[in-house]
Amino acid sequence: MTAFPNYDSKKIAALDAQAQSILGVFERHKYIRAEPSVLQPAEIFLDRSGEEIRRRTFAFTDPSGNELCLRPDITIPICKMYVGDGIKLPARLCYNGLVFRHQPAEPERPTQFYQAGVELLGVKDRAAAETEILTLAAESMEAAGLSDYTLKVGDLGLFSAFVDALDIPPQWRGRLKRHFWRAGYFEALLTRMSKGAANDAQRLLAHLGTLGDAEARAAFEGLMDLFGAAHQGARTREEIVDRLMEQAADAALRFDPKMAKLLSQLLAISGPAEKALTQIRTLTKSAGVKLEAPLAAMSARLATLKSLGIAPNRVSFAARFGRNMEYYTGFVFELWSRDAEGAVQVAGGGRYDTLLENLGAKKHIPAIGYAIRTERVLAAKARRT
Amino acid sequence: MSARLTLAVPSKGRLQEQVNEYFADAGLPMKKAAGARGYRATLAGFDDVDVLLLSASEIAAALISGDVHFGVTGEDLIREQAQSLDGRVTLIKKLGFGHADVVVAVPQAWIDVATMADLDDVCAQFYQRHRRRLRVATKYVTLTRAFFARAGIADYRIVESAGATEGAPAAGAAEAIVDITSTGATLAANGLKILDDGLILQSQAQLAASLSAKWPAPVRKTAETLLSRLAARERAKASLVLRVRLSGNAKKILAQVQKLAEAEILSQPGAKEYSLLVPRGNLMIATDILKGAGAITAEEADYVFRSGDPLVTAFAKSLR
Repeated sequence: MTAFPNYDSKKIAALDAQAQSILGVFERHKYIRAEPSVLQPAEIFLDRSGEEIRRRTFAFTDPSGNELCLRPDITIPICKMYVGDGIKLPARLCYNGLVFRHQPAEPERPTQFYQAGVELLGVKDRAAAETEILTLAAESMEAAGLSDYTLKVGDLGLFSAFVDALDIPPQWRGRLKRHFWRAGYFEALLTRMSKGAANDAQRLLAHLGTLGDAEARAAFEGLMDLFGAAHQGARTREEIVDRLMEQAADAALRFDPKMAKLLSQLLAISGPAEKALTQIRTLTKSAGVKLEAPLAAMSARLATLKSLGIAPNRVSFAARFGRNMEYYTGFVFELWSRDAEGAVQVAGGGRYDTLLENLGAKKHIPAIGYAIRTERVLAAKARRT
Repeated sequence: MSARLTLAVPSKGRLQEQVNEYFADAGLPMKKAAGARGYRATLAGFDDVDVLLLSASEIAAALISGDVHFGVTGEDLIREQAQSLDGRVTLIKKLGFGHADVVVAVPQAWIDVATMADLDDVCAQFYQRHRRRLRVATKYVTLTRAFFARAGIADYRIVESAGATEGAPAAGAAEAIVDITSTGATLAANGLKILDDGLILQSQAQLAASLSAKWPAPVRKTAETLLSRLAARERAKASLVLRVRLSGNAKKILAQVQKLAEAEILSQPGAKEYSLLVPRGNLMIATDILKGAGAITAEEADYVFRSGDPLVTAFAKSLR
C-alpha cells in the first residue's frame, strides 16, 4: 500500500470496468447519479462529526480565509446537496467518486480512495428500504465479481428497545440510552448504578438526591454562589445545576444489580447471527422483557440475506456493533473479505434517520445507504486469482 | 553530511541554562562558536561534535526529520510533533529537569465535573443544548486527540492556541484546555482545575536520538563515547567509593556487602586494602557490615565508566 496511489492504464481500466458493473446495478434499480464537489466547506464535517473524523480530514484555509476540506465521505455532502433543493421523496441517489482521508496513525494507508455507493432517502416502510439496500449490496458485489465475503450486522435500535422494555424508572432509561454511545462512561455508570457511590462527592450527591427538587436546587445554587462570577466557558449556570440535579437523582437511585447484569449480558452477545438472536430471545424471556418488534426486524433481514444466496454461516451479529460509527441510528452492516494482507472491510452501510434533519431538512426523513470500497474489492479479487 | 555528530540544545531560557549545567557537570562545557551569531557551539573534548542552538520545538522537529543526531528538549514537544515515535526518535535519557505535566483542565465553577467521564457527559449535553461542539484550547493537538480518543470522547472540537492557553476559557475562546503545568498555580489563577484523571503526560527534558538521521560508523562511535561519558558521570554521582582494610574474614564480609549493599568490589582478591563501589543510598548498610574492620573512607568519584554500558547498548540496539 502507499499513501499516494497512482493509477496506471491497467488499474484505470480495471476500476472503470468494475465501476460500470456496479453503477449498472444501481441504475437498474432506478438510482440517479450525483456527485458533490470534491472541495467542501469544512464546517459541515467539522461541527457535525467531531474530532475523530476531523483528525482524518484534510482541512485547510483558502487564500480568502475560508475553512475548506477535501470531502472525507460522500454521504454527508450528497445529502446536503438535496436538503437545500427541497428534494422530491423518496429519492434514490448513487455515486462513484474519490474521498480523502488523512492517515496519521498509519502513514502507509492510502490518503484517497474510490467509494461507490447509494443513498435511499424518505422511504417510510423501513423493512422495504432495508430489503432494497441489502439486495443492492448483494447484487453489486456479484457484479463486482466478489463472492467470498462475510457480513457483520447490528442494530443500534435494539439497545434502546431493550432499555424501554426494562422495568426501571423512566429517568434511567434516558440516561442509559444517552450514554450507550460512550463505552467508558457507560461502564462506569453501570457500576455506580449498581454498586453505589465510590467517593465522597458521589455520596454527597446521593444525599442531596434524597432531598426534594426545590431543596436540592437551592443547595446547588448555593454552591454555585461560592464561585461568584467565575467564568464557566459557554456552559450556563443553569446547565451546571441541571446536571448536578440529574447526578444527585442518579446517585440516590439504586439500580437493581440484576438489571445491570442483564444489560452487560445483552451487550456481550456476539457470534453467528441466528444463534445470537436465539440468545437474545432466551435472555429477554428469562428477564420478562418484550422485544418482539426489533427481533422480528432482524430476523426478517437475515431471511432477506438468505434469499439473496448469502448462507447464514456467513452472517455474524454483535449487540455492541455500530456503537462507534458516525451518524448511524439503526440497522448497520459491514461486508468483509480478505486481501493479500488479511481481513479487510470491502463495504458497509446502515440507517441514518437523523442526518438530514441535522443538515437542515425541515422534517424527519428516514434514510439508509451503502458504500463499496472498490479498490479493496479489486485487491480481494486479486488475492484469489 | 560529513562524519560529524550534530547535537541540538535549547537556545534560550531556563532550559538552556540547565542543559549547559548538565553537560558542564559531566566535564563537557559548551562554548559558543565565534562568528556564528550564537547559533553554534562546541563541546569541550569532542572535536567532531557540532552543537546547534535551536528553540525547543525546532529541536523536536529536527529530531523527527533527521536533521540532527541528538537533541535535548521536552518530551511533550517530541511526542506532540511525532504522532508516533516508532522509527523516528528514541528517547535515550530523562535528564531530571524541565518537568512539566500536560493536563486537561476545566473551569473551577464546573463543580459537577471531576473526571474525564464527566467531561464526556458534559460534551454530549453541550452539543445537544448548543448545537455546536465544546471547544478545547491547546497547542498539543496530537496529544489531546490521542488522549480524548482513549477516553472515548468524540463530541468536542480543538481550538488551536498559540500562547497563553490558560486564558482561553476566561476570554470566551474555549470551554476547556489542555496545557502544561508544573505547580498548577497558573491554572488556579485563571480559575481552572485539573481533572482527577486528566494527566496526559509527565514530561521532562530528554536526551533523544533521531532514527531518521544517517548514522555512519564514525558518528555512531562518537555518539557512543559521548553517551558512555554522560552515563559514567551519572553513575559516579549516584555512588561512593569506600576504602577499607580487611583481614581474616574478608571473603565472607565482601560477599555480604555485595549482596546486601549491592557493592561492587573494585580490588583484586587478596588485596590488603579494598575499594568498593557502593550506591549512595546503601552507604549505611555497607558501613554497618564493614564496621568491625577499622577505618572506612568514603569518597566521590568523578566518573564511573563501565564496558557494555546499558545506556550505550540500548542506544545501539535502537539504531538497528
